[in-house]
Amino acid sequence: MSFELIKDILLATVPLLVIFPSLFAFTTWMERKALARIQNRIGPNKTGIPCTRIGLFGLGQPAADGIKMIFKEDIVPRGADKLFHLLAPILALIPAMLILCFLPLEFPWGKFISGKVQAFMLDSAVIFFFAISGLATLAIFMAGWASRNKYSLLGGMRAVAQMVSYEIPLVLSAVIVVMMVGSLNAKEIAGAQTGFNWFVFSPWGLAAFIVFFIAALAETNRSPFDLPEAESEIIAGYFTEYSGFKFALFFLGEYIAMFAISGLAVTLFLGAGDGPFLAAAPWLSVVWFIAKIFGLIAVMIWLRGTLPRLRVDQLMAFAWKFLLPLSIVNILLAGLSHHVIDAYPGPVAKVGAWAVSLVLLYMMAWGLNNISRSTAKPREYLYAE
Amino acid sequence: MTQEITFWVLAVIAVLGALLAVRRRNLIHGVFALMIFFAALAGLFLLLLAEFIAAVQILVYIGAVGILLLFAIMLTERVTGDDARDITSRGSFWGWAAALAVLVFLLLPTIQGADLPQTVQPINPSVKALGFKLMNPYVVTLEVLALLLTAALVGAVAAAQGGEKKKEDAGDA
Repeated sequence: MSFELIKDILLATVPLLVIFPSLFAFTTWMERKALARIQNRIGPNKTGIPCTRIGLFGLGQPAADGIKMIFKEDIVPRGADKLFHLLAPILALIPAMLILCFLPLEFPWGKFISGKVQAFMLDSAVIFFFAISGLATLAIFMAGWASRNKYSLLGGMRAVAQMVSYEIPLVLSAVIVVMMVGSLNAKEIAGAQTGFNWFVFSPWGLAAFIVFFIAALAETNRSPFDLPEAESEIIAGYFTEYSGFKFALFFLGEYIAMFAISGLAVTLFLGAGDGPFLAAAPWLSVVWFIAKIFGLIAVMIWLRGTLPRLRVDQLMAFAWKFLLPLSIVNILLAGLSHHVIDAYPGPVAKVGAWAVSLVLLYMMAWGLNNISRSTAKPREYLYAE
Repeated sequence: MTQEITFWVLAVIAVLGALLAVRRRNLIHGVFALMIFFAALAGLFLLLLAEFIAAVQILVYIGAVGILLLFAIMLTERVTGDDARDITSRGSFWGWAAALAVLVFLLLPTIQGADLPQTVQPINPSVKALGFKLMNPYVVTLEVLALLLTAALVGAVAAAQGGEKKKEDAGDA
């Protein structure tokens, strides 16, 4: 019994522990290259195979970064809370790694070695995902508080305020998919979208996906919502006082959280492992899943290279006055259309419901955009003339 | 066997977290110790196959109540958490005595006298069943609760607005 248990645990967790950190290394390289091209630079291109002149497009850069991070001096400020300063980066990584287990990834070796291949098969996987991903906020607050640095604390406070606000549209847009499937189980949600029945291909699903993606950007502190680490305002925010491997852990945690939340977006809206040629080769579903995650990550990098950072008041106004009403109306429309299509089978009801929801959602977004624009007055200086 | 070990590990963590939460002088440390307690409790719920309750425990108690406590502490002057004041007060003896009395005369006899069933009925720990229960027999309760929360939210907004006006007046004066 114990051997079987250990085998199951290893089969379910080791792939996640191997695949996602290596994807992280590749993503840092991809991000640096893409940002460099957007800014008309070349980006890392020297680091390849050591002791040779072979550059390999700079693919050795993540390894070089990792070695540098490990050997860097670990500095703890004198006034810092030593214990919390140590715990914060660890706490930042744990929830990010944990929520990966809720993704409906089916690795193909389940056939060859009998055993379970998914870590948690919980009925309420989606709720667990949101519950545990919220814990990353605590780590950021802990880091900001333990550093005993004004800028760190400001960054931590900003992170908490931002994440608390954006969690609401994030969860409300996921509610639509849960309503449609009638289940919180990630695998059933994935199963309901096979054969290109993706939820993104419906007006309410598309709106929910866009809201979800924007809120996910804010939840993972990605640009243009990277206020907690705004260099021009608060140095580096909550990880100002971190160096060496602790900094690397924050970095890793942030990227793993990006993978996880993109994975949830893929599960909820983009059909999970669904894609062409699945009948011929079922193992392709993992490939499709990770390819879709990478597609979302690429959009995130693109946005980072394109959009300027928001102001705090714009950030809050956008969450509370635009995303929140839009997602509530979206839930209403989705429920109504679902019942109309159920009650009157046939193309007429479907086309009608789609057209009405599309028009209403567009009008709603347009109107909210007009009334929710932040009306900040010119700045009044408190301590300066 | 595995379940028993898990139970005892979680129970020890929960008790230690609760003790730390009330004994730490540093308020922020106390809040985080309280969160450890909540997390251990969520683990115990999982052990009882109540996965939805466990998720809600994490979502509400750690994600909402804990963050709210941190925010509240941030607004006080003890934000740094350095507090060397002694936490034991003069009346601590009576507190210990009352707690011990409750344990010995109330809790222990109840646990000893409880007629626990030796065989447990198999249950279907499904979220779906919970959802049907909430939407069928308890739907009125749910709606009333939602209305209450909305009222509380509107009240909070009203209170916050009033406070802001007063602050502006104070600024002018």
